[in-house]
Amino acid sequence: MLAHRCSRNGRTAWQLVFGSFLGLGLAACQPATTTVAPLQQGLVYCSEGNPEGFNPQLGTSGTTIDATSAQLYDRLLDYDAEQQQFVPALAERWQALDDGQRYRFHLRRNVQFHSTPWFTPSRALNADDVLFSFQRWLQPNHPYHAVNGGNYPFFTSSGLMNLIVAVERIDDYTVDFQLSRRDSSFLANLATDFAVILSADYGQQLLHAKQPQQLDRQPIGTGPFQFVEFRKDLLIRYQRHADYWREAPFFEQLVYVITTSANKRMLKLLTGECDVIPYPLVDELQQLDIDDDIQVSSAVNPNIAYWGFNTARPPFDQPLVRQALSHAVNRQAIIQAIYNGNARQASGILPETSWAFTELDQTHAYNPQLAKQLLQQAGYEQGFNMRIWAMPVQRAYNPNAQRMAELIQADLAQIGVRAEIVSYEWNEFRRRLDRGEHDSVLIGWVADNADPDNFFRPILSCAAAAGGNNRTNWCDPNFDQLLEQALAETVADNRAQLYQAIETYALQQAPLMPIANSLRFQAHRTDISGVELPPYGAISFRHARRILPVDERGEQP
Amino acid sequence: MIRYSIRRLLLLLITLWLLTVLMFVLHHLFPGDTLTNMSGIRQSDGVAYQQAQQHYAMPQSWLSQYWQFFLHLLHGDWGQSLVTQRGVFADIMPQLGATLELTIMAMTLSLVIGVPMGMYAAVQQRGPLDRVIMGVSLSAYSIPAFWLAQLALLLFAVKLGWAPISGQLNPLFNITPVTGSVIIDILLSDSPYRGAALKDALQHLWLPVLVLSSIPLTMLIRITRNATLDVLQQNYLRAARSRGLSESRIMVKHVMPNAMQVIVRQLGLQFSLLMSNIIIIETIFNWPGIGSSLIKSIYERDYPVMLGGLFTLAALILLVNVAVELYHAWRYPQVRKELYAER
Repeated sequence: MLAHRCSRNGRTAWQLVFGSFLGLGLAACQPATTTVAPLQQGLVYCSEGNPEGFNPQLGTSGTTIDATSAQLYDRLLDYDAEQQQFVPALAERWQALDDGQRYRFHLRRNVQFHSTPWFTPSRALNADDVLFSFQRWLQPNHPYHAVNGGNYPFFTSSGLMNLIVAVERIDDYTVDFQLSRRDSSFLANLATDFAVILSADYGQQLLHAKQPQQLDRQPIGTGPFQFVEFRKDLLIRYQRHADYWREAPFFEQLVYVITTSANKRMLKLLTGECDVIPYPLVDELQQLDIDDDIQVSSAVNPNIAYWGFNTARPPFDQPLVRQALSHAVNRQAIIQAIYNGNARQASGILPETSWAFTELDQTHAYNPQLAKQLLQQAGYEQGFNMRIWAMPVQRAYNPNAQRMAELIQADLAQIGVRAEIVSYEWNEFRRRLDRGEHDSVLIGWVADNADPDNFFRPILSCAAAAGGNNRTNWCDPNFDQLLEQALAETVADNRAQLYQAIETYALQQAPLMPIANSLRFQAHRTDISGVELPPYGAISFRHARRILPVDERGEQP
Repeated sequence: MIRYSIRRLLLLLITLWLLTVLMFVLHHLFPGDTLTNMSGIRQSDGVAYQQAQQHYAMPQSWLSQYWQFFLHLLHGDWGQSLVTQRGVFADIMPQLGATLELTIMAMTLSLVIGVPMGMYAAVQQRGPLDRVIMGVSLSAYSIPAFWLAQLALLLFAVKLGWAPISGQLNPLFNITPVTGSVIIDILLSDSPYRGAALKDALQHLWLPVLVLSSIPLTMLIRITRNATLDVLQQNYLRAARSRGLSESRIMVKHVMPNAMQVIVRQLGLQFSLLMSNIIIIETIFNWPGIGSSLIKSIYERDYPVMLGGLFTLAALILLVNVAVELYHAWRYPQVRKELYAER
C-alpha cells in the first residue's frame, strides 16, 4: 500500500526528508505494487455504514440502497435523469393498455442471473422472475412475504401496494400489470431503486433448502456486480458479473469498506486507501478541491429541508400564525451559515430538478414587520412560547439542524416568539414525531423518484398524516383532491400547471416552510472516472473505470 | 511442582466457571427478553424461538436453565448476533486470531527492545543515557494510548504516508480470513499475489503494533532496570567479581537470568494491561479483532456478541496469567520452594 500510495501521490518534501533519514522512503517508493493486478482492477468505495440487508425492497435507508440496487440488481426500466425520460432495462419495451389501467411489459431475452458458489441459475430471466419479485410484497400469503420482517416501506408509502391489482404472466416474456386506477406515477415508481427483479429460481431453491431468509442475505440478481462476501463493520465484496447483459463493468472487484467516521473517510481518501467516498465534510471541501489527487463532485439531490409546524396543536392550527412564522425567518442567512452556500434557497416544495418546477417563488419572503402584523391579526400581539425540534443527525438535506434551530430561534425572538430547542436520539426522535409530541420540527425529505407527486403525497397528504412521514399532521381534503387530480392527468404540461396550483395552495396554508434544496457530495481520486451519482437513486459503479497512468517508471529517480 | 500446577489449574477452572455464572446472571439482568439476550433469537422468529425455549430449558428452574446455558457454552454454541443473525462463536474465532496477532507481536516487540534497554540503563545507572532512557520511557508511559494512536496516524499515515490508516490489508487482495491472523491467512492462501499482499499486510501492521507496545515497552524498561539494579547489589555478584569474572560474563551468566525472574513474573500483569489497550487501538485502527467488535456490540446492544467477546477476552487473560505463573514456577525452582515454604 505504501509504494502504491507514493507513486500515486508523488512524494512530498516531508517524505523525502524523513524517508532518506531512515533509509525507508526511497526503497518504498518503487512503483512495484501499482502494477499488482488486483489493485488495478478493483475499486474501493468507503461507504458510511453497514447495509441493513441486500434487498432494497425491504428498506428505505440510503446506505442499503447505495450498497445494493445499482450493483446487484436491475429494474424493468430505468430513468434517465438527463433526458428526463424512461429507458428500457429488463423490459425491452412497454405499452399502456385499457386507458392506462394496464401496462404490458415485454422482457429482454437472455438476461443471465449471477452464478455463484451457492446458486447456479438453471435458466435466463423470464416472466416468472418478475411475478416472483412483485408478488413477494403484493400478496400477504406469498411464501416470501413475511420473510426477513415482511415490511416493504417504499411500496406501502408510495401507494404501489394498493395501486397494483394483479401481475399477470401472458407468456414467458410478457407480463401485465393490472392497476386499480390510472396513475401517471406508476412508471416512475417502477424505475426506482426499490423495484428490483429477483430470481424466482433461487427463491424456489431456498424454500426447498428451508433457508428462505438467505434470499436477502446472499443475494442473486441480474446486476453488473455479484455478491461475494459481507463482513459486518468491515467490508462488502462484489465481483464483476461476467455474463452481464449490458457492457460488463471495468472493475473486476468492487469493495465497500465500511468507514463510519466522516473524518476517517476523508483521511483515507487522502492516503489513497479509498478511491471514492460519499458525504465528505462540507467544511473541508475547499481544502479537498485544491488537492490535485482528489476531485469533489456534487449532484443535485432531489431533497428539501423544511420547518414543519404541527398543525394539530394550537396556535399552529391557524394559517395566519404559520405564515407569520414563515415570514420571520431569514433563510438567506441559513443557506450561508449552515450549508456554506452549497445549497439553493428553496423556492417552493418542488426542487429545481423536478420537471414540474417553475422559477416562480412560492415561499414567504423574509419580512419581520409583516410577520408581526400577521401575529397581531391572529391575536398574538405578545408572541408565544414554542419548541423547535432539531434532528440529532446529519442528513444530505440538512448538515446541522441544531445550528439551524439556533438561527431560527434568534429570528423568532425579533417578532416576540420565544423558542426552545429540543432534540432526542434519532430513533427516539422519530418515534416521538410519530406520536405528534412536537410543536415544530426541522426535518426534510429525499424523493424516491422523479415524479412530482413524490414531493407532496409522502409529506403532506392525509394518508401520510395517519401513518407516514407527514410531520405537520396537516390533513386537508382539498389538498388531497388536488393531488388526485394531478395524478389522473396524463399530459405533462397540464400536470405541471396543476402542481403549481398545489404549490400555491401549500403556500397559502403554510403547513411547512421550505428552507433549502442541497447538493449531494462525493469525492473521488482523480484516476477514477465514471462513478455515477444519479439525482434519483443510488450510486452506480457500472461505468466506473480507473484511468491508467502513463508508465511512471520514467519519472522515478 | 505437580501439586502447584494442579492448584493453579483448579483455580483457573473455578474462575472460568464463576465467569460463566456471571454471564448467566448478566443475561437475566440485561434489559429485554432473557432468552433473546442469550441466544440471539427473537420472539418474532416463531418456531425457532420455541425451539430455543426448549433447548435453554426456559420455563424450568434457574438451576436447569444455567445447566443448559453452560452446556451450550461448552459446545461452542454461543447463540447468534442480534444484528447479523450469524453464529457468535464462528465470528469470534477469526477475531481472536486478529487480536492475538497484534498482541503477540506487540508483546514480543516490547520484550525484545524493553529488556535490553532496561539492562543497559541499569548498567549505566545515573549516566546520561540512563537518564534519557528513563525520561523517554516515563513520558511515553504518561501518554494515553488513544492520543498516541491518533498522533501516530496523523504523522505516519497522513503526513508521511508510510502506513495506511486502517485495516489489516488492502481489501482488494482477496484473502479469505481463516485464522484471522492476516499473515497466516496470506501464507495459507493460494493467491498469486502473496508476496505483494504480505508486504501490504506488514505495512498495515507495524503502526498499531508500535503504538500498542508503547505501554508494556516502557513498563518493561523500568521493571528490568530495577530488577537488574537489585541483582547487581547481591552478594553473589560481589563474590563473582572478586573471583575475577569479566563484567560481560557476569552480566550474561549471572545478572540476566536472575533479573529475568522478576520480569517474567510481571509479564502476566503487562498482558492484562495490553488487553485493555487493545480495545482502544483496534477501534482506532479498524482492526477486525475482538476489541473493536466488543465496542460495536455495546453500541448496538448486541448482547450475545457482547458477552461472547467479554468471555473470550477474560478467558484469554486468565489463561495467559496462569500460563505465565506456571512457567515462572517451573523455570525458577527458588520460587517453587518459596511457595511450598521449604528451603
